[in-house]
Amino acid sequence: MTTPALYRRLVRRETHSSRAGAAIAVAVVLMLLLAWVGTELVLSALGQPALLVAPTDAVNALAGAVAAPAGIVVAIGAVVAVIGLVLVVVALTPARRDRRRSGLDRTAAVVDDRVIATSLARTAAYAGDVDPEQVHVTVARRRASVVVTPSSGRRTDLAAIRSAVDAEVADYDFTPALRANVRLTENGTVGA
Amino acid sequence: MTSTNRFLNRLLVLVAGLALLAVGGAIAVGVLLPDARDAVSGVASDAPSAVSSTLSSAPWIPWAAAVACLLLIVLLLWFALRQGHGRTGTLLRVDASPGRGTPTGGSVTVDAKVAEQVLTDALSRVPAIVALDVTAFRVRRQNVLRVTAHTRRGASPVAVRSEIDRAVAHWDAVLGRETPVVIQIVAGLRTRVAKAARVA
Repeated sequence: MTTPALYRRLVRRETHSSRAGAAIAVAVVLMLLLAWVGTELVLSALGQPALLVAPTDAVNALAGAVAAPAGIVVAIGAVVAVIGLVLVVVALTPARRDRRRSGLDRTAAVVDDRVIATSLARTAAYAGDVDPEQVHVTVARRRASVVVTPSSGRRTDLAAIRSAVDAEVADYDFTPALRANVRLTENGTVGA
Repeated sequence: MTSTNRFLNRLLVLVAGLALLAVGGAIAVGVLLPDARDAVSGVASDAPSAVSSTLSSAPWIPWAAAVACLLLIVLLLWFALRQGHGRTGTLLRVDASPGRGTPTGGSVTVDAKVAEQVLTDALSRVPAIVALDVTAFRVRRQNVLRVTAHTRRGASPVAVRSEIDRAVAHWDAVLGRETPVVIQIVAGLRTRVAKAARVA
C-alpha cells in the first residue's frame, strides 16, 4: 500500500524548496502592474484624467527615451537585465533545503542538518570531556567539520573524539552521506 | 507535501526572468550599438503617430486590453492563492462492503486528529522530542501523515527516528492498516527555547 515511489516523491518535495515565495512575489508585482495599466486604459478610453501617466504619453515618453543620455539608459537596461538574470537562476537551480533523507522503511524520514550538527556536537563534547559550547560543527553537503576548542591547561583526547564522531556518523543512513572531519583549535579557552 | 504545482512556480519565475533579461539587455545593447540605435530611433519616432492613428480607427482596443489585464489578474490571483493546499482532516475512510475488515451498514471515518493524539501521547515521554506536529495531506489519491518532530538540542536523529518508527508501529496496530507516514526531524525555534539533552 505504501509505495516507495510515493515516498521518494514526498521526500524530494520535503528536501527541495517549492519556490513559492519567488513565484508569489512575481505574481503580485505582475498583478499590480496589470491593475495599473488596465485602470489607465479605461480612464483614457472614458476621457478621464490619468492616475499617473496616460497611455499615449507613456508611448511618447518611451519613444523619447532613445534620445536620452546613453549612460542612464544603459544603466536602467543593465539593472533590469540583472533582475531578470536573478529570476532565471532562481527558476533553474535545484533549491535544495539543508536537509537529507534517511533510509526508506515502513516510514520515510527527512532530517534537518541542524539536528545532525547538534547531535555531532554533543557526541564530540562527551567524548572530549569539554563543554558543548566549546564544539563548533558545520554540516556541509557531504562533509561535517567538527572543531573543538580545548580547555586551557587540560589535555583533550583528539583520537577519542574522532572515533566517537566517526562511530556516530557510521550509524547514519542519510543520503547524501556525510564524512566527519575533526580538529582541535590551536588556542584553548580559559575558564571552562 | 502540499499540492503546490512546483513546475508552474518555476515556469512563471523563468518567463518573468527571461522577459526582463531580454528587455533590459535590448535596452542596454541597443543604446550602445550605433546601428541598433538608429534602427530603434527610426521605429521610435514613427511609434507615437502609429499608436494614435490605430487608436482613433479602432476605439475598442483599450477596452479589450483592459479586459485582458483583468483576466490575467484573476489568473495570477488563482495561481497565488492555490499555493500550499492539500491538507486534509480525514486520514482514512472505509465504506461499507460485504468483505472482511470492512464495516457493514455504514462507513468509518478516522480523523487525522486521532493519529495526532495517539502519536503525541506515545512520544510524549521521549526526552529527545520537544514537540510533535502531525498533519495529514492528500497526495496522489492517498492520505499521507506527516510527523514533524522538534528535537531537543543534541538529540541523536537516528534514535529519534527509531522512537517514532516504534510509535508508528503502535499506531498501525491500533488503526489496523498502514497509511504512508513521512517523518521530519527538525530543529526549530522550539528546539532553541528548550533545554539541551543531558543524557546520551
